[in-house]
Amino acid sequence: MIKNCTSLSFALLLSVIGSGSLYANTLAPMGSRSNYQSVLQDTAKSQSVASTDTIGQMLKSLQKFKTVKDTINIKDAKNVPNLSLQQVLKGNVAGLYVQEPNGEPGTEQSMILQGASGVMFNKKDIYALQPAVYLNGVPLVQDNPFAFDVQKYDYNRIGPATNLLTQIDVSNIQSIVVIKDPYELAKLGPNAVNGAIYITTKNARGGKQDISLNSYFGYATVPKVHTVNGVYENEFRRPFYQKYATQEQYDSYAPYLRDSTNTAYFGPSNWNDLYYQNTPTFGADLGITGGNDRANFRFFGSGTKNAGNADETNLNRYNIFFGINMAPFQWLTVSSNVNAVKMDRTRNRSLRDRFAEARYIPDLSSPLSPNADIYGTFLSENNKNVDKNTTTALNGNVSLSAKLNKLVITSSLIFDYNEGIRDYFTPSTLMDGVSYVSTYFGYNQRLIQSNTISYGLQLNPNNVIDLELGQVYQGDTYKYNYARAYRGPNDDVKLNLVEGNASLSSYLNTLAAGGFYVFRYLDKEVNNLFSLYASGKYRYKDVLSVSALIRRDGASNGQPDSRWVTSPAFNVKYNIVKDSDFLNQLSISGGWGRNVRVYMDDRYAAGPQYRSESGWFEEPTIPGYGPVLGINRPYESGFIGYGIKLPYAERMDLTLDGALANNRINVALSVYNRNDKNQLVGVSVPQETGYSVNYKSGMEVNNKGAEFMINGLVVNNQGGFSWNTGLNVGYNKNEVAALPDGLSELIIGDNKLQVGKSVGSYWLYNNVGIYNTEASVPSGRTFNGIPMSAGDPEWKDLNDDNRIDNNDKIFTGDRLPKIVGGWNNTLSYKKFDVNFNFIFAAGHKILNQYEATRYGFINREAGNDINSVKEVSSWQKFDNERVYPIYNPWSDVNAYRVDQDLFLEDGSYVKLRSLTLGYDFTNTSLFSKSSGARFRRVYLYATATNLLTLTKFSGVDPELVNYNGYYDGANLTIPRTFVLGFKLDL
Amino acid sequence: MIISNIMNCKRYNSYGIFRISVGVCLFLATLGNTACNKIDDVFSQRLATEETNWKTLEDGKANLMSVYGLLRSATVADNSHWLMGDLRQGDFTITNRADMKAIVNGQLNASYPVINRITNWRRFYAGINAASLFIERSSEILAHDPRYTQLNNDVDIAQARILRAFAYFYMTRIWGDVPLLTSSHDGDFIQSPRTSQERVLAFCTSEILEAAKVVPFRYGGTDPIMPGLYYGENWPSWNGNVFTRLSAYIILAHIAAWQGNYVDAAIYSKFVLDNRSTQYFVDGANPLDYIDMNALTENQNNYSPFAFKRATVMVGFPFEAGNGLATANGHIEQLILASPFIPKAVPEMFVSKDSIIKIFTDPNDLRFSRDLATNRYRTNYFYGFESERPIFNKVKVIYPSNTSGDITLFASTMVFSRLEEITLLRAEALAVLGDTDEAIITLNTACAKRGINYSLANSPDLVKAIFDERRKELMGEGWRWYDIVRYNRIKKSDEVFAVKNDQEMTFREFEQAGGVYWPVSQDVISANPAIRQNPYWQ
Repeated sequence: MIKNCTSLSFALLLSVIGSGSLYANTLAPMGSRSNYQSVLQDTAKSQSVASTDTIGQMLKSLQKFKTVKDTINIKDAKNVPNLSLQQVLKGNVAGLYVQEPNGEPGTEQSMILQGASGVMFNKKDIYALQPAVYLNGVPLVQDNPFAFDVQKYDYNRIGPATNLLTQIDVSNIQSIVVIKDPYELAKLGPNAVNGAIYITTKNARGGKQDISLNSYFGYATVPKVHTVNGVYENEFRRPFYQKYATQEQYDSYAPYLRDSTNTAYFGPSNWNDLYYQNTPTFGADLGITGGNDRANFRFFGSGTKNAGNADETNLNRYNIFFGINMAPFQWLTVSSNVNAVKMDRTRNRSLRDRFAEARYIPDLSSPLSPNADIYGTFLSENNKNVDKNTTTALNGNVSLSAKLNKLVITSSLIFDYNEGIRDYFTPSTLMDGVSYVSTYFGYNQRLIQSNTISYGLQLNPNNVIDLELGQVYQGDTYKYNYARAYRGPNDDVKLNLVEGNASLSSYLNTLAAGGFYVFRYLDKEVNNLFSLYASGKYRYKDVLSVSALIRRDGASNGQPDSRWVTSPAFNVKYNIVKDSDFLNQLSISGGWGRNVRVYMDDRYAAGPQYRSESGWFEEPTIPGYGPVLGINRPYESGFIGYGIKLPYAERMDLTLDGALANNRINVALSVYNRNDKNQLVGVSVPQETGYSVNYKSGMEVNNKGAEFMINGLVVNNQGGFSWNTGLNVGYNKNEVAALPDGLSELIIGDNKLQVGKSVGSYWLYNNVGIYNTEASVPSGRTFNGIPMSAGDPEWKDLNDDNRIDNNDKIFTGDRLPKIVGGWNNTLSYKKFDVNFNFIFAAGHKILNQYEATRYGFINREAGNDINSVKEVSSWQKFDNERVYPIYNPWSDVNAYRVDQDLFLEDGSYVKLRSLTLGYDFTNTSLFSKSSGARFRRVYLYATATNLLTLTKFSGVDPELVNYNGYYDGANLTIPRTFVLGFKLDL
Repeated sequence: MIISNIMNCKRYNSYGIFRISVGVCLFLATLGNTACNKIDDVFSQRLATEETNWKTLEDGKANLMSVYGLLRSATVADNSHWLMGDLRQGDFTITNRADMKAIVNGQLNASYPVINRITNWRRFYAGINAASLFIERSSEILAHDPRYTQLNNDVDIAQARILRAFAYFYMTRIWGDVPLLTSSHDGDFIQSPRTSQERVLAFCTSEILEAAKVVPFRYGGTDPIMPGLYYGENWPSWNGNVFTRLSAYIILAHIAAWQGNYVDAAIYSKFVLDNRSTQYFVDGANPLDYIDMNALTENQNNYSPFAFKRATVMVGFPFEAGNGLATANGHIEQLILASPFIPKAVPEMFVSKDSIIKIFTDPNDLRFSRDLATNRYRTNYFYGFESERPIFNKVKVIYPSNTSGDITLFASTMVFSRLEEITLLRAEALAVLGDTDEAIITLNTACAKRGINYSLANSPDLVKAIFDERRKELMGEGWRWYDIVRYNRIKKSDEVFAVKNDQEMTFREFEQAGGVYWPVSQDVISANPAIRQNPYWQ
């Protein structure tokens, strides 16, 4: 019946507005199925709804092949206290590399799907590489990186900097599908240029009322650390001094390490007692679904506290979801859902982050003491801080759809609004007598109006054609107001007060006597997108389907003569085998599609322009001259001319799917090729023109790779022992295919792009040893013009010109892994089940900046800059720390410079990410239906996360690496968390 | 079963369907049209474009002030005015910073980020390009905004020409031969080789001479050249901020002196001193005058060129705290101050006790000597003389204009020239030209408020005395290295000036080898193959 009446196109529109309602009814009876099938309930749809395929080739196959494919095993994921979407996805999707550079709850994390499409030299760049995340069809709007324009340091974005993808509570998720199919991505449009992650929450449906209650409680536990004090540091420094120091250098020995009777640095090192805490982490949620066929609803509410184990960091999240479907007439449905969330984040107290935010570096010659008593006084001063980080988000949609014979007309209004507020105050006692206050308010807003008309034409039972026309208007607005201010009147005044009396001359004057010294920043950007598309799909029986799409997108962020782009896409799928003896299913599909990439910054649309940009490296935000706000060409950020086109991605994909052994084993193999063309890159120009770079279109990045997924119910004894296992592996090869103007290479700061090399390649000096004596230094050998001498590192002179310079840097190692994947297992025996989840990444390198600055302590302590900051957590040593040669740390060649392969390490790892042990009480006498209580499911579980890491990396954790591949040791560790939880379905 | 219910309804009222269809189609069509406007009519609110710039009086002001701002940034970025001017063979001892030690030791190509940044001349060319663009484009405003008068535009362009010439002069002092670009080549990224210093300086001189005929002595006041408010502001708000006719002649005098053309240097400096009255108690501003010790080191309000923008800033770029311009970097305070002036344990550089004794020999010198009344050392220049590291605290403008404080944001003006400086330059010119009597008078005019007096009896080598006075008066103002160069050019001594690769050189040999000038950053050479490294640093 369903098949008869469900036109494909209608399904598509419903999928956008809440496909949960579609599936829910057919899923309801599955509760009584076996354990194996109930696993599928969340991850896949049963065959009976296969024809409601909505969202991509992958999902479609998924519906056919049950367990394989790019869906997440939601059921298992729900037992792990993950906070962010990235954490849920990590290691569970072939080809998706999740970077979790910080264990601090709620901090930003990055996802890169099937390789990086652009450069990763600044933090800004990472924003442009993120896949789109759709929540019930709402493409969630993310923070815009334009705020970095007013920042000196890019460790954190100004504002709460809360990861906006922590807004989704995994308990309320029905399915997560990662879309990589070129045709489906093209259909989603420019938002999905980096791929898409399609999340469907549980939604309203008719039928029996359904109540579920889930909760867990546990602890993020303290890590084991080997603390050290000044004795260790002195021991570490001794060989450098013995080997190289002059008397003058001895005389300027670090003052805090001079006096070994100073208990602040030479007493017990027990800072970790205060720094690390076993911290409770918990969550509870309630979901209610009910109503009838003509009107139904779902409510979901949850509260979560996710804790880090260090520095009292945590995030509190409150979610509310409400979904409603109505059919006022038989031919008209109205569907709506709204998702609201509030997140409060308690951030770390690290010195670096605070000084970077304040853009103020006090005297750093006395670092924090490793002694708990003294560190405790620092912490008690910290209690005077105000550090409020609130993010609220509201998103959802309203959709009307009318079914008029074979014509379906749908109109939806989709919105996402989120705002971040940060109030920050730090007392004068923590910054050498200067208090600091900053306030931030910013919002990101997206409004989408979409209309589709679809028409299903059944020529005969074997030949079906579906046609669709669609139109989407999307308006994005990004805005923030930010003020930072220094030196308040005293530490009790934690607000920047202004005179409110309009009759006084100091009315609203932020610089009036006695107040803070205020710097204000306002920025706003609007980015509109309009799209029209037409698509058609032809199906011949269950054997062949051919789809084609053509769309036209216009983006206000494109230059006027090139903002409208037409792009096609198509897809062919052929079922080779169906239900043979051995193979249950084998199909091959291939597709090609193009997605326009819309710039995140509206500057490129304007062409030659003038901005207020007259600062310099150390002071990037000088407002003007005298009382005048100046405008000039963007010399610092780079020239933008005419002729800048919108970039686009062209994808090709070929997938082979199979199911065998009674559909118990599912295998998929796919290969892809993606060219991100026409990308904008700053090309260096003669410095005499005044500009740093000239932005030019023409960079092309190629990603190709292969992905392999296998999922099998290896052992399946009804009521006895079962073993279900799933493995996914993704391989990616990245390379710069072209640069603007036919250039073959381009140097950008400390990085270099070269055609044929990966965009993530490091470009480093090749360290081959040490010059132990003056005699061993080749005569006349210089390093960037400086004569080299004994005690300097021996860097390889590649071009044999006896000068070590940029020409002797080599491409070596990659920031991004070549292979990522995961291995998920569920073992069950009777009512027990055990799940363990391994993740791995291999083939990438990490540049150990932490060790580079530790060994380069002379330069670090001599310069009073952000790199000189020594955190309390640096008073420790690590088990597998590497030992580096003893170079002359005073040498002008900067022997421990980070841009050499001496500090390059293998970043590969395998992690046992989670282990869950569960017991199903549903049919025990305690909860069985005969006892009167009507529990549909009662499940108790215990989960441990982050249990084991296998790696050769010498730092704390190979995941705690910044976007640029640098490990600086400043980020908080990812905690080992233990929770106990239950799930109740009534 | 919502879906199936809907789908199962086979029959509809056909009229209803028609109505709805038409309605929806119309809706789609109208939305389509308005949406197109929403794509094409969105303009960035974060910038000015070719369509919006060069249209109003305010555009003229904003673009011109940016030229000043860019050149201010160019001179002080990474404290380069002092790193490049005061460290080489200078009077400062470095405490810790290895990059600064490298500069003091003459290792100007050492591999430090700061050295790499300050040896990149792009920052000056940004200002030069902005000036050229202003010269080429600002007249477009005349047609759009009647408030923008021809005179106003002429004066603005003249300032841009002076600023551009100043930037070139400043650069030649650092790098010698630099590429001379005299138009903006807007959007065209040409590769220019270095131009000989002589040609660059000849260009500067002719540019300034022409522009000097146009710029007034005062802006916004009663100067007959340009009476009335300038961009709506009066002279007290402009003085110290913008270049006047006196500024132009000071720069001319310095260019001439750098070229060894002391005849012209004497003429230009004379023009400045002769016209001092144009800024002396006129139009309600604090006067241009020689300043006493309080104004020099204690931020005395009416005259201090460092703490306030005053007429005493004859060539310079203020950082006014009240305009949100106090910064950490870009001021000598970041290098020299420490406790008790600001919360910092040790300064980055200081003048050693030995050097102080060697330099400040006059027992009556108010800048440094023992105060007979209190029998203590004066602290105007050096605090804690008897300690290991006396704090050189001549310039101390701590937000907003305090002489000490907790906050390490500074507001001191980048002062290139003030009345004492140009007077000493005139004395130098006169001394070189042999007008000894006038030279001594001029020298004593410059140091009259310092408690000392020169005479041929106590200073038989007058040129040396003048340079010694410059060393004391202008300490920490970015002059030392350029003074050493000029002094040695005058003296033509056969003494060893520098040693490179164990080879001793006289100043003449050193200068011929290119040692006077800084190497240029590798980034500059990589970006433009037409640029050759300075031979001394190859």
